[in-house]
Amino acid sequence: MRNPWAQTGNYRTSYEQDTTIFANYREIVSVGLLLVALCILPMFLERSQVLVLNFILIYAIAVLGLNITTGYAGLISVGQAAFMGVGAYTVALSAPHLPFWLTIPLGGLTAAILGFIVGIPSLRVKHLYLALATLAFQEIFVWVVGRSPALAQGAAIPVEMRNFLGLEIGFRNHNYFWYYIILFVLVLMVIAWRNLLRGKYGRALIAVRDNDRAADAMGMDPGRTKLFAFALGALYGGVAGGLLAYMQRAVVVEEFTLGRSVALLAMAIVGGLGTVVGSLLGPAFIEFLRLYMERLSEWMKSNAFIQSITPAGVDVASALLPLSFGLVIVLFLIFEPRGLYNWWRLLRSYFRTWPFRY
Amino acid sequence: MKRVIVLAMVAALGMVMAQGRTVNLLWSGAVTGPTSDVGGPYGAGIEDYCKYANEQKLIPNVTLNCTVRDDQYQNPNTQRIFEEALDRAKPAMYLGYSTGAMLQLKPLINEVKMPTLPASAHIGLIDPPNNQYMFLPVSSYSEQVVALMEYINRTEKNAKIALVVNPSPFGRAVVDHARRAAQRLGQTIVDVREVGGGNLDNTALLRALDAAGATYIIHQNVAGPVANILKDAKRLGLDRKIKQMGAVYTGGSDLIRLAGDAAEGYLWASSYYTLDENTPGIALQKQLAARYNRSADILNSTNYTAGMLAAAIAVEAMKRAAQRFNGRIDNETVYQALIGMNGPNAFKPGFAVSTKAGIEIDFTRTEQTGAEGLRVLEARGGKFVPVTDPFTSALFRQVRNP
Amino acid sequence: MIDFVQNLISGIAVGCIYALAALGFVLVYKSSRVINFSNGQFIAIGAFLAYALAVWAKLPVLLAALLSMLLTAGLGFLVERVFLRRMVGQPIISVIMVTIGLASVLDGLMYLTPFGSGNFTFPQFLPQGGLNLGGLSVSYPQLLAIGFTAIFLLLFGWFFQRSVLGVSMRAVADDQLASMSVGVSVQRVFALAWAVAGLTAAAAGIVVGAVSGLNQDGLIAIGLAVFPAVILGGLDSVPGAVVGGIIIGILQSFSTAYLDGLFSQIGLVGGGSQYVMPFVVLLVMLWFKPHGLFGTEEIERV
Repeated sequence: MRNPWAQTGNYRTSYEQDTTIFANYREIVSVGLLLVALCILPMFLERSQVLVLNFILIYAIAVLGLNITTGYAGLISVGQAAFMGVGAYTVALSAPHLPFWLTIPLGGLTAAILGFIVGIPSLRVKHLYLALATLAFQEIFVWVVGRSPALAQGAAIPVEMRNFLGLEIGFRNHNYFWYYIILFVLVLMVIAWRNLLRGKYGRALIAVRDNDRAADAMGMDPGRTKLFAFALGALYGGVAGGLLAYMQRAVVVEEFTLGRSVALLAMAIVGGLGTVVGSLLGPAFIEFLRLYMERLSEWMKSNAFIQSITPAGVDVASALLPLSFGLVIVLFLIFEPRGLYNWWRLLRSYFRTWPFRY
Repeated sequence: MKRVIVLAMVAALGMVMAQGRTVNLLWSGAVTGPTSDVGGPYGAGIEDYCKYANEQKLIPNVTLNCTVRDDQYQNPNTQRIFEEALDRAKPAMYLGYSTGAMLQLKPLINEVKMPTLPASAHIGLIDPPNNQYMFLPVSSYSEQVVALMEYINRTEKNAKIALVVNPSPFGRAVVDHARRAAQRLGQTIVDVREVGGGNLDNTALLRALDAAGATYIIHQNVAGPVANILKDAKRLGLDRKIKQMGAVYTGGSDLIRLAGDAAEGYLWASSYYTLDENTPGIALQKQLAARYNRSADILNSTNYTAGMLAAAIAVEAMKRAAQRFNGRIDNETVYQALIGMNGPNAFKPGFAVSTKAGIEIDFTRTEQTGAEGLRVLEARGGKFVPVTDPFTSALFRQVRNP
Repeated sequence: MIDFVQNLISGIAVGCIYALAALGFVLVYKSSRVINFSNGQFIAIGAFLAYALAVWAKLPVLLAALLSMLLTAGLGFLVERVFLRRMVGQPIISVIMVTIGLASVLDGLMYLTPFGSGNFTFPQFLPQGGLNLGGLSVSYPQLLAIGFTAIFLLLFGWFFQRSVLGVSMRAVADDQLASMSVGVSVQRVFALAWAVAGLTAAAAGIVVGAVSGLNQDGLIAIGLAVFPAVILGGLDSVPGAVVGGIIIGILQSFSTAYLDGLFSQIGLVGGGSQYVMPFVVLLVMLWFKPHGLFGTEEIERV
């Protein structure tokens, strides 16, 4: 290994090595450095920029969950936003009575239980049908919230936390405070993710995804494995939703609709299914795409020349966002199905052999 | 010598401040995405009024920097746009949009003391907690519905009424107040049903409401679903048995276009003047639509009027803040100017109807609704014509808080 | 009793619209195993094309409707050529995601036009009101829906039983490899399935436009309502799609008539159970009879 810092690929040669979290100590150091960088990053950013980061990190947690359900177990879920909603509403109802470090896990747990129920068809049917089960759950969730007076029928339920261990949390530090909480939770969730999937269970998931009959023959129960994956993915969604509730200071049902579920799935795909790096890159990519398309469309609206060359009745600016979002998904699937994770891998291997090529 | 230089610098600084000062005004709403048929014209109204305000120098020595941003009806976008503005170009006033996002932003708006005029007239926005800086340009949805119930009571006592509302916080806002008002008036709310877009057939709904004895349907919705219900009622011959009416977003030119003949006789509660009336506000609307090349659809939209009214209130509050506080225009002085906008100082731009006292827009510290007057209009021959004088719902004030 | 019959008839009329929208969906699934999440966008584009041809190009409405169906069929063909053909052999999740991405792209294309926001209505081409017989009533656009569904069902029946292309489509649906080996062009079959899907989607869009006016969100929502119908009928069954669609239509009508009151008794206020019942049925079907009423059960071998 000429440059161990840019090592790519899997260098694990034995089962003992394969079950470690980090391949070598250098990986520990580089992850540590990344964490330090993430910790000092907000000091250079405005409040609203930290807000953008907060959204990205929260989506990253939800996408990690999706990467268990979809990436590892191969079950397509278009209901992740509804699981986020379950977590958020659990937090909204329990926040007046419990501290946040209890309400957020509680939200995750509730979501996991519901995920278990929604996943029941996976005992009998395969991926395609399951996508529709999650679609049904997504629609039923939004409907039930809208009809329940206890949940304010979908209007805002405030979730206020103004004080933490004597630290006053207000407009000035709200986003920063939650940035560190979210980052901490994300790190925990990533460790748990990696820990779980490197062991026996993760291998069972892959086996079931690739060929469930063969896995069955080898003594794994495909139905139960999938069901567990479903509940686990929902748990990540619930935790993300709980964090979102605190960060947005109020829970509104509009946050947890089908559109958000689809966006989360797109983030997972663009990032690269089944990878931690992809779970971070995907949300960041989609959110920044949205941000820059918004800038571009505002610039186009204000630019007299562009306005003069577009025919009347044609609204390029408002079409930009859905067009770019859809094209990114389609183009990634056609040309880079392994997602941004693969670019990350290629980049590292480029530096590894630099200045030589293969 | 030194003194002269300092004096000169102070004078120069003063000149710069007096001339090149800009004040920010922010609107974010759904120019695209869901409800963009409302958000598009609303944003256009704000944009055009701001251009007009700068051209006419409505606020002396101040350039108004109007930012109209598209949040695609997504709350995270609204939140980001608002916080970005607080970080970079802090607005002296915020013009908001959707019910959900505004309810969500309430705590933050209260904390940063930002006077806010949302397009949504959900009563929960100006109800406690965190309501101090929220102001509705016109009467709330709840008040519109209660006013319609009072209007029914004028001709028929003990009426049986059904509510048909949009399946969203926007639609559900009115239900509680309508129930309390019915109790006071001796009316019965026989049923509350939620109906959204894509209602391909309303036979079962209309027959169920008819079977329950409803002779009136009050809608709190957008034009599309209402138009479908009107068409089906006409086909089933129920249009003679059941009189239909609704709050501000149900009516207007869109309803006439969608429902055609079936819209005839529909009653509409609105605070805004129609394009057929000759008031200063409507005249300005026509003039600006022509000057800035707006399409006929936008000119004819009540939401264009609504956007202009919101911007006009903001500009007027800024102007008054500058007068009262020595040219200081920021969120605090604008708030003071807004809550001083009453009695002889009420604002009269001519976009919305005036009550008997001749007051169009007024706010106080506790009365956070601008135009409290409204009229009932009826669709006749493809146009909405007023059938009442402007009035204020007295009953609504009694039932607002249980 | 008359209420019951009336609700039944109205339900069938709405169900025929779902059936129309479901036909193309099932056809695509049957031949290529693709779940098409962009069906709603095809419905909307078909309706808007018909409007544009009728109002802007001032063609007679029926001609405009026919042309729009052909154009939307062309769009389906094009989409298959440009996007879906590249996905043959890719994992199912990728293929599904492509249709989701496609939905977004088509949304964007609609935003480029004035149809992106606002409400539109077709010029009057059917008489006002509806048919009233002995206290029962059906509107003319609803009769149009029933007629369209019947015509398409007959055409499809003939097509699959008698025509060479139809038989080869069935062969491809049954076993891709085997049909390739006997000389059936799988690519041609896929392209044809997408074209027909576009055609029926446009028909559904035109009917919806005639019933309730044209609005992008409303039209796309019909695409979502199709999922319960196809699961109920069986994802790969053409008669199943029609039966499933009609059952969902009746279910919605009965929910409004009889269930809304029950829901408010258990604390779910506001009614609107017609929006959720189809999805409840979908979930229950997946629990107990995942392959639907008429679908073929998948038998797998290791």
